[in-house]
Amino acid sequence: MAAVKPLAGIRVADFTWVWAGPFATLQLAHLGADVIKIESRSRLDTIRGLPPYADNEAGINRAGYFNQYNQGKRSITLDLSKPEGLEIAHQIAAKSDVVTENFSAGVMDRLGLGYDALKRVKPDIIVVALSGYGSTGPLSKYISYGPAQVPMSGLAGLTGYAGSGASEVGISYGDPNAGVHGAFAVLAALYHRQQTGEGQYVDMSQWEASIGLVAEGLVDYAMNGTQPERSGNRDPQYAPHGTFRCAGQDGWISIAVTNEEEWRSLCTALGAPALASDARFTDNAARKQHEDALERELSSLTAERDRWELTRSLQAAGVPAFTPLSNKELAEDPHLNERDFFVRLQHPDVGVRQHPGIPWRMSDSDSTVHAPAPMMGQHTREVLREVVGLNDARIDALEAAGVL
Amino acid sequence: MPAEALAGLRVVECGAGVSAAYAAKLMADMGADVVKVEPPDGDPLRLRGPFPGGKPDPEKSGLFLYLNTNKRGVVLDLTSADGRAAFDRIAQTADLVIHNWTPAEMEQRNVSWDRLHTLNPRLVLTSITPFGLTGPYSGYKANNLVSSSAGGWSWLIGGGPDGDQKPPLKAFGEQADMQTGAQAAIASLGAVLGRGFNDLPGQHIDISEQEVVTSFLEMNFMHWSYGGRVASRLGSRILHPWAIMEAKDGQIFVLCVQEDQWRRFVEMMGSPDWAEWEIFGDRLMRAAAWDVLEPLIAEYVSQHTVQEIYQEGLERRLPFAPLSTMGDLYKSDHLAVRGFFAKVTLADGSTLSLPGAPYRFQQTPWSLRRRAPQLGEHTAAVLDEAGMDPQTVKQLAGRAEKRS
Repeated sequence: MAAVKPLAGIRVADFTWVWAGPFATLQLAHLGADVIKIESRSRLDTIRGLPPYADNEAGINRAGYFNQYNQGKRSITLDLSKPEGLEIAHQIAAKSDVVTENFSAGVMDRLGLGYDALKRVKPDIIVVALSGYGSTGPLSKYISYGPAQVPMSGLAGLTGYAGSGASEVGISYGDPNAGVHGAFAVLAALYHRQQTGEGQYVDMSQWEASIGLVAEGLVDYAMNGTQPERSGNRDPQYAPHGTFRCAGQDGWISIAVTNEEEWRSLCTALGAPALASDARFTDNAARKQHEDALERELSSLTAERDRWELTRSLQAAGVPAFTPLSNKELAEDPHLNERDFFVRLQHPDVGVRQHPGIPWRMSDSDSTVHAPAPMMGQHTREVLREVVGLNDARIDALEAAGVL
Repeated sequence: MPAEALAGLRVVECGAGVSAAYAAKLMADMGADVVKVEPPDGDPLRLRGPFPGGKPDPEKSGLFLYLNTNKRGVVLDLTSADGRAAFDRIAQTADLVIHNWTPAEMEQRNVSWDRLHTLNPRLVLTSITPFGLTGPYSGYKANNLVSSSAGGWSWLIGGGPDGDQKPPLKAFGEQADMQTGAQAAIASLGAVLGRGFNDLPGQHIDISEQEVVTSFLEMNFMHWSYGGRVASRLGSRILHPWAIMEAKDGQIFVLCVQEDQWRRFVEMMGSPDWAEWEIFGDRLMRAAAWDVLEPLIAEYVSQHTVQEIYQEGLERRLPFAPLSTMGDLYKSDHLAVRGFFAKVTLADGSTLSLPGAPYRFQQTPWSLRRRAPQLGEHTAAVLDEAGMDPQTVKQLAGRAEKRS
């Protein structure tokens, strides 16, 4: 296994905070880029200040949220309100391939770190600016965050139990979605630069990045003037398709049958082969028509079963099914652990904590996380020495002047 | 100077449904030359709605038309010798083959990493599967509902009044597939870039949809590995206000992440004296006292319209959001000014307005250059380009024509 990661040698000056921007640069760090996170002691990254904390003891380096999405990055602290702090930030950006930021509109320009300023010193610089509404248009001067994209994209209105109200989706889904699209944008810009030597500015709106997620609802409206009704876990095309009660406290199993073979295997595995030839359920169309009755029959058959045993036996019979897992069950999942999906690295403050790792494995380059998330300012000296070229005396002076 | 970021990148997409198609769409929309290989009776997604008037038509599936813009479509029977020969010819000069076949389906089509790597050492092969290519669940089958359950997301969605009697919920649509497609595009383009930046060879990339979902659960995994708590749809958010609330004429999403936002929202509500109660001291205390705080805020919200609260909130720099319907999105002035929606002319001459660019590239903009392909539309052209002899091309393309 070659130790080289695909983006080894690429440097990212990362001015983003909270989740969307850091999730984008996490993908770049996973691919091997040197991501330098520019933090500020006076403007703490929100997710350094939110629970869960290690052993429920608060601390800016003890937040699980921060430590998950900043794995493998370097952290420096600079006071951008001081000229020397700004000058150092400018030098780091000028020595980077990519700059990522999610300040509100115009802040980077005012700091002299805008695309036009940076382009003068590094013509092929790539800058990705992430904001809620984008940098143009009537709403561009307002703010919007990841959680707001779930209602504003229309996803909340489309999600929910049949016959009941709109539902959130359990997480601030606008953030990771903007993050992966932002990471892809950086890679596309790097490919263009690799071919032509040309960098560029990319303006990203979290709202716009999220609207494609409800394309199915949008094209229905565009074609037919209506949008899909909320229908719980049912599918517009296939049945049975839902999450059914199992034995035990809050025990459930999700089952999705998409062809007749799976339907027959399901009935057999549930010990009710006759169900397969019940007139109401002979094919998908019939099952869709009698879906209420179908779900009652299936629930009665799953209600006494153990959800893990049923997951294994249905999959063994070739039926797509799995029991909904909690965070604890993910952490203990034999499959995820055997694939070495989790990262367990020693962190200076919280020790070894389990974290989800990289969701891909490459055959010929290292796909593992090598460093936990940084302590705040952990790499300030190292980066100022290596990247900016300052000696220790100068760094000490800057520190004394409160610039770092 | 090519006007598209990924001009020259040659991608072959195979499989069915959403995940591989979305990954390839991200690349196609940025200028990559994407050939979508379908089996003789087409991608099953062609039979999934929405359809105009609800009438199934393999050339009018709204989701297919969205996911396959800017691609050329080829029909090959990969279980036949000449179909495989044609596939090899196309793969020989490709940078990336990306698919979501199960391992068994790969074997049936003789699509194996060793064979393709020998054929084209620079080729990246990205295999998307529900649970990855290794480990005890590797043969398991899944779709969005099953992957959202196996990845720990459904466990966090739903609940509400007597929530433990209602199942964990899936978000609307194909979210797990879309996020997996975006991650697959990141890993694939990363590996392609690695050939240039670090002389890496072509690689086989193994992407597990379960791992993708587990990696974007916000801070919920760390509620366990840091705080020893099982987070679930029945629990509450860690900070408040963060909720869908009832306004006079509909629902609005109310959110205050930072303390200064809460202060501005209190002013907006006319600085009621209850806002100074100690139990609402900060965002975490407000979460702990949410059952007391919610009715107090709800009182204010219910007396105003959605737009009054949303507009006033914007002016006060608050990240509130309406619960958009599909119609609201199409009629949004902001999205119109930014030219977000992209109109495409379909084969039958009708037009369809689709969600457009998730990011705004200054030099090499996202563009909708080509509608989704009809079944086998470009078989002859692509095989000609691949240098196959005209007789075989005619035979392969002809066979496809007769069928569609």
